[in-house]
Amino acid sequence: MQFPGTAKPAVGIVFDTAMGGIDDVLALAMLYGFEGKSQARIAAIAVSSGDLSAAQFCDALRLFNAGASTGPGPANLHGMPMGLADGGTAAESSIFNKLGKPVRATGIDSVKDTADPATLMRNALMAQHDQNAAMVLSGAAIDLARLLDMYGAKDWIVRKVRLLCVTGTGKATDSASEKVLAGWPTPMVTVGPEIGEALPFPGGSMEKDFAWSTGHPVVDAYRRYQPMPYDAPSCAMAAMLYTVRPDEAYFKLSDGGKRRHLIFDAGQKERVIRAYIEMASAKPVPRKPRRPPDEKKKEEDKEEKKDEKKDEKKDAAP
Amino acid sequence: MITKKALARRTFLRGMGTAVALPFLDAMVPAMAATRSAKPPVRMAFVYVPNGIIMDGWNPDYEGPLRELPRILKPLEPYREDITLFGNLTHNTGRALLDGAGDHGRCCASYLTGVQPRKTVTDIKAGVSFDQIVANQVGKQTRFPSLELGMEDARQAGDCDSGYSCAYTNNLAWKSETQPLPPVLDPRALFERLFGNGMALTPEARARENFYRRSILDFVSDDTRKLETGLGPTDRRKLDEYLSSIREIERQIEKAERNNAQIDPHMEKPYGVPADFAEHFKLMADMMTVAFQADLTRVITFLVTHEGTSRPYREIDIPDGHHPLTHHRNQADMIEKVARINSYHVRQFAAWIAKMRTIREGDGTLLDNCMIVYGAGLSDGNRHLHEDLPTLIAGRGGSHFKTGRRIVYRRETPMCNLYLTMMERMGVHVEHFGDSTGRLEALDLT
Repeated sequence: MQFPGTAKPAVGIVFDTAMGGIDDVLALAMLYGFEGKSQARIAAIAVSSGDLSAAQFCDALRLFNAGASTGPGPANLHGMPMGLADGGTAAESSIFNKLGKPVRATGIDSVKDTADPATLMRNALMAQHDQNAAMVLSGAAIDLARLLDMYGAKDWIVRKVRLLCVTGTGKATDSASEKVLAGWPTPMVTVGPEIGEALPFPGGSMEKDFAWSTGHPVVDAYRRYQPMPYDAPSCAMAAMLYTVRPDEAYFKLSDGGKRRHLIFDAGQKERVIRAYIEMASAKPVPRKPRRPPDEKKKEEDKEEKKDEKKDEKKDAAP
Repeated sequence: MITKKALARRTFLRGMGTAVALPFLDAMVPAMAATRSAKPPVRMAFVYVPNGIIMDGWNPDYEGPLRELPRILKPLEPYREDITLFGNLTHNTGRALLDGAGDHGRCCASYLTGVQPRKTVTDIKAGVSFDQIVANQVGKQTRFPSLELGMEDARQAGDCDSGYSCAYTNNLAWKSETQPLPPVLDPRALFERLFGNGMALTPEARARENFYRRSILDFVSDDTRKLETGLGPTDRRKLDEYLSSIREIERQIEKAERNNAQIDPHMEKPYGVPADFAEHFKLMADMMTVAFQADLTRVITFLVTHEGTSRPYREIDIPDGHHPLTHHRNQADMIEKVARINSYHVRQFAAWIAKMRTIREGDGTLLDNCMIVYGAGLSDGNRHLHEDLPTLIAGRGGSHFKTGRRIVYRRETPMCNLYLTMMERMGVHVEHFGDSTGRLEALDLT
C-alpha cells in the first residue's frame, strides 16, 4: 500500500511478455532482482502467448520469490494475478508450450486463475503514481493494442506511464503492432535483436551464480530449453535493464523524438553482462512486515475500542 | 378473464389522501394483445451487506449447476434453481489506488458507481450510480423512479472511515457525483411514501386514520368494490392477496410501534423501527415486494446495514460488534461468529426470495421478472479484499438468465461488466460504465 504525502516508491514495471524465448525468462528473473533491491516494483506480469504453462511458470517464479522471502506456505496467493492472453487470439506460442508445466508449485490451475491482460494492466497502472510506471513489451503487441482500445486509455496511460520499451525491430508485423507503434502516447524505446546477439547471457552462470538454490525455476527452464552449455541472446533483458535503469548509460540511444532505438555500446558490454547476472541470479530479500505483529495488534485493538465507543455514543443518541 | 377493454396499468385505488397502486392483473392485458404483449416489466434490486463475508462459507468448490450450497448460503438451498452465483468479480476502484486506508468507505461508494470516491469528509465526490442511470430511463414509467432503503444509520456527515465521509459508507445510490440518495430506514415513512399520494399523509388524513385506527385500505374501499365488479375470479384473488399483504404490513408496523413504546427510553429507536432485526428486514422486504408487484418502481437499493458497522447481533447471541469481529486475525471463534452473522443475513434474504417466488405474474413469478443482486463490496473483510466479491443474482431478469448455476469468470473481471449486462436487461443501452470492459458472457439463456 502506498500513502500519499510520502516520496514516490520505485518505478512500477508492467512486463508484457510472450515468454517466447529464454531471454524473457531471464528478464523476468531480473525484474524480481530489481524488486529485491527496491529499484523497481512489479506492477503486473502478462503473458501474451496464451500458453497456460507460461503463466504457470511466471506464477511459480513469483511463489518461489515470495516463499523464499516469507518462508514456506501459500505466500501471497491473493496478490495481483498473472495476465494471460486468450489462447484463441494469441499470435505466437511460448517456450513453455514445449517445456510444459513447471515442476514447482503454482497457484494457477486453469485460465480462470489468470486475468485478462488488458484489464490487469489497466488496474495495475491505476495504482501507480503519475509518471512512475514503465512498461516492457517483449512479444506480440496484442495486449497493448487492447489496452489502447479501453475507455479513456490514452489519457491515463500518458498520466501514469513514462516509458514503453519494446523488443524487436520497431517495424509493424501485424495490425496490433501497427496500432501500438503508431498510437502509443508516451515515449517509446525499441530494442532490436542485434542488441541481444551482441550481449549474450553466459550459460555458465547457471552453475555458478544460481548455485545458492537447488531448485531455481529459472535454472530448470534454462536447462530444459536447449542442451547445455549455451549462451542466450538477451534482447528482453536489455529492455528490462534499460527500463529500470535508464540513466546508467549501459546503452546509447538513437536521436529522435518520442520514439528512439537502443544502440549497443561495446565499451559497456562487460558492465551490462555483469548487471544481467547480478539481477537475474539475485537472492530474494527477506522482507520485514510493515509493522511488527505486536504493534499491529495494539493498533487493531485500539481501533476496536474506538468502534465500540462510537457505537455506545450512537445508542445513547436521542 | 380477458376483456376487450383493458384496465390501465397505472390504475390506482384512491381515497382520503391515499393512492394504492395495483398489481399486474389479467384485466390489464387487452384481449387481442394477450399473447404478444403480456410481458411484465423487468425490475432490479440490490441488497448490500457490509464488512465482507467469510468466503470459505460462501464459495462452493465447484462451477456449473448448483448442488449443495456452502453453509452461509444454505438458507437459499430450496431456491437454488432461482439464483446465479458469480465468482471473481472485482471492484478495482474500491482498492486503495494510492489513497491509503479507508476500504470500507471506498468499497461502498464505488459499489454501484464504479468510480473511486474522493477521500474527504467535506466535499464529497463519487459518480452517478448505475441504478440511477437506469432509474432516469425507466423511472418515468413508474410512480417512483427508484427507492433507496436501509436499516441502520443514515448520517451524511462526519468521518466514518479513515478520512472518508459517512456519506460514502451510508449510501449506495448516487443521483449525481456529489449527491447521494440517503436510504429510508423507517418502515412507516416508507409505507406512507408508497401509498400516501407520493408524500406523507396530510395531517387531516393522518389524524383521521389515527383516530379511528383504520387501515389505509378502508379509505380506498369504495374504489376497491367498484373495481372488483369488473374483474374475473383470478384477478379478484390476486387483488385480494395483494391488499391483504398491504394490510399485513400495516399490522407489522403498528405492532412495531406498540413494542417500541414499551422499550426502555435509552433503547428506543428513533425511527419507529422494529427493535428486532429480522422483523425490520421482513417489513422492508414486504414493502419491496409490494412496490415491485404494483410496479411502483423498478429499481430498489437496500443497504442492510452500513459499511464498517459495529452493530452487535444479540438476536443470535453475538454481543460483539460486526466490524471488529471481521478483523478476526484468523481466530476460529471470531470467524465462526462472522459466518453466523453472514448466514443470518442470508436467511432474511432467502425469506424474501421465498415470498417473491410465490407471487404469480404473467407466465411465471414475480421473482422471474426481477434481478435481485445480493452482495458485498469486500470479499475478505479481515484483509479488505476487493476481488472475488460475494455476488449472486436471484431471479431470471424476465426469463432471460439461465439460473441455478455458479459462473466463475477470470480474475479481475470488473463488477461493472455485470452492471452493463443488467442495464441491457433493463432496456438501457450504454457502451461503458465505470471501469467496465464489456458485458458478462455465459449469463444468458442463449
